[in-house]
Amino acid sequence: MECLLGLVGKDFAITVTDTSVIRSITVLKHNENKSRELNPHTLLAFCGEPGDTINFAEFIQKNIKLYGIRNNVELSPHAAANFTRRELAQALRSRSSYQTNMLVAGYDAQKGPSLFWIDYLAALVEVPFAAHGYCAYYCLSIMDRYYRKDMDLEEAKDVIRKCIDELQHRFIINLPRFVIQVVDKDGIREIQL
Amino acid sequence: MSGSYDRALTVFSPDGHLFQVEYAMEAVRKGTCAVGVRGKDVVVLGVERKTALKLQEPRTVRKINMLDEHVYMAFAGLTADARVLINKARIECQSHRLTVEDPVSIEYITRYIAGVQQKYTQSGGRRPFGVSSLLVGFDIDRTPKLYQTDPSGIYYAWKANAIGRNAKIVREFLEKNHQDDMNKDESVKLTVKALLEVVQTGAKNIEVVVMTADQGAKYLAQEDIAGIVGDIEKEKEIEAEKKKKKPLTRSS
Amino acid sequence: MSRRYDSRTTIFSPEGRLYQVEYAMEAISHAGTVIGIQSNEGIVLAAERKVTSKLLEQDSSTEKLYTIHNNMVAGVAGITSDANYLVEYARTQAQQYYFSYGEEIPAEPMVQRLCDLKQSYTQYGGLRPFGVSFLYAGYDEHHGFQLYHSDPSGNYAGWKANCIGANHSKAQSILKQEYKEEGLSLHEATALVVKIMTKLMDTATLTSDKLEFATLTRGGEGIVHHIYTPEEINQLLKEQGVLAETDPDQMED
Repeated sequence: MECLLGLVGKDFAITVTDTSVIRSITVLKHNENKSRELNPHTLLAFCGEPGDTINFAEFIQKNIKLYGIRNNVELSPHAAANFTRRELAQALRSRSSYQTNMLVAGYDAQKGPSLFWIDYLAALVEVPFAAHGYCAYYCLSIMDRYYRKDMDLEEAKDVIRKCIDELQHRFIINLPRFVIQVVDKDGIREIQL
Repeated sequence: MSGSYDRALTVFSPDGHLFQVEYAMEAVRKGTCAVGVRGKDVVVLGVERKTALKLQEPRTVRKINMLDEHVYMAFAGLTADARVLINKARIECQSHRLTVEDPVSIEYITRYIAGVQQKYTQSGGRRPFGVSSLLVGFDIDRTPKLYQTDPSGIYYAWKANAIGRNAKIVREFLEKNHQDDMNKDESVKLTVKALLEVVQTGAKNIEVVVMTADQGAKYLAQEDIAGIVGDIEKEKEIEAEKKKKKPLTRSS
Repeated sequence: MSRRYDSRTTIFSPEGRLYQVEYAMEAISHAGTVIGIQSNEGIVLAAERKVTSKLLEQDSSTEKLYTIHNNMVAGVAGITSDANYLVEYARTQAQQYYFSYGEEIPAEPMVQRLCDLKQSYTQYGGLRPFGVSFLYAGYDEHHGFQLYHSDPSGNYAGWKANCIGANHSKAQSILKQEYKEEGLSLHEATALVVKIMTKLMDTATLTSDKLEFATLTRGGEGIVHHIYTPEEINQLLKEQGVLAETDPDQMED
């Protein structure tokens, strides 16, 4: 019932996360942060079983932070995504598996922006745009129609506006608030639509 | 336990000494000198660097290391031992953040390092770490801290201290010259001055990290250190004219 | 006086020294020389082969230079069996990193992993330290081409040029003199390596049975590591004008 979107523009990657925590038929809160900064240029956005997601995301976050401190260089978004996938895959085959879907958005000084889609079965794909959960049914087709390579930030925001509009019109669940984050050469920041 | 190597290397001698620990401290006394100074709202670490050889990459020789964003550590003793110890501490810093969401306090991580060092004096057929460390940093309440560990696993909190080669001379200097409530510049100056007691070659063999609660840690640029060394030397000259004294004893 | 402290496991002597480690380093200073030079276009490694026999298979037995992974070649000096173990360990670690991160391990973390193992053998388990020094020629996108040296204590550092094994101090002083501030071209580095090797071995001429040679350079698609075959080494020595008169083909007859 959650919404997790992402797309890659010309020189940035962008993620959209809803902020609702829903249990059964009850909304528990409206201001949940569903992303973690892995390093200055890599963002992990997630949805899924609430306990699992945060547990796993913070575990990944601390490990990637540790990597940076240990090696005096930061992990690339590609490496961070692979590491995340690997840890999830390993956990999946143990007693303590995580029900967590994720997007890794990053910016690499050499290779530019990137977006990685990881589902709870630890499948990993690099994609130009992505969505997790029910919102994928609405948003993937919109992004498919309007996505272009080399979009600038305003154009990307436009596409996201269309996605959110559609969700708020058609989706049975009311998702009142979204957090939109941009990763580019300057790092990670939150923006308003 | 059978099959594993559990013969302790460090055992009491008949007169109650743990020789391996004492010898490890000897290894520390052979290491390059490190100085820590705590001011009012600042902590400073200074270390003596061996002269970088011409063909060496200075990037790969690190005497002051970050454990976490708010904790830095300098060491004296065996470099490879220190690297392993630092690695363990870095893991603990992140693990602590993961379990309790707060960064480690400086005392906590010092106690952790000292705990690891202690273990190596008592169990499992291994020698102690030939390392003493100075840890500086800020707790969550923004108070500056300075701690020291040694190979036996003891740890102390200090206002200012030195470890490594000629540590005694430097400590005596610090005892004479340290004041409470020093500001940033005074603390840095005292650190450099203390190091100059034992570092003959001046600014190019000194590395300094300054930490404040607001700005975190900063490595001082080589020119800045040279500037401070210049100031100190000028002062010394003036003072030397007033009266003659120069406590430059050399041991070993 | 030091007998008590130098025959068993690595423990501290009263002066705070680790004799076992120091002796291991001593063993290395008798081993075949390895020289590494970082040039502007890549890294050159050359090594002196100690075991020479005309019965030795030249193609399949390198004694001194090993590929660690796609972006790293290492030269070893010391006890070859220890080196074999460490090279195997390094290769496994490199692949484990690749398995975790989907990328080649950067140079310094690779060196550090190996050095952590070396350090552990100086600290516990009733083991002796590894009697091996390494010169690593590596590449990663963070710092470009890098040359590292590590010793039995588990210490390491990065260098522009360095030498391990027999006569290393002599070679180091030549390197210090000849290495230019602005760096060398690959060609110059190669010439320098060959020059030092002939000086150290005290001969005017060399053949491929006494020398191993490798380069790590930028290729069309990424980084190329290249350990020379005997024919290529002879060709190289010929270009440098130091190839021995005797035709190696005749030697094998």
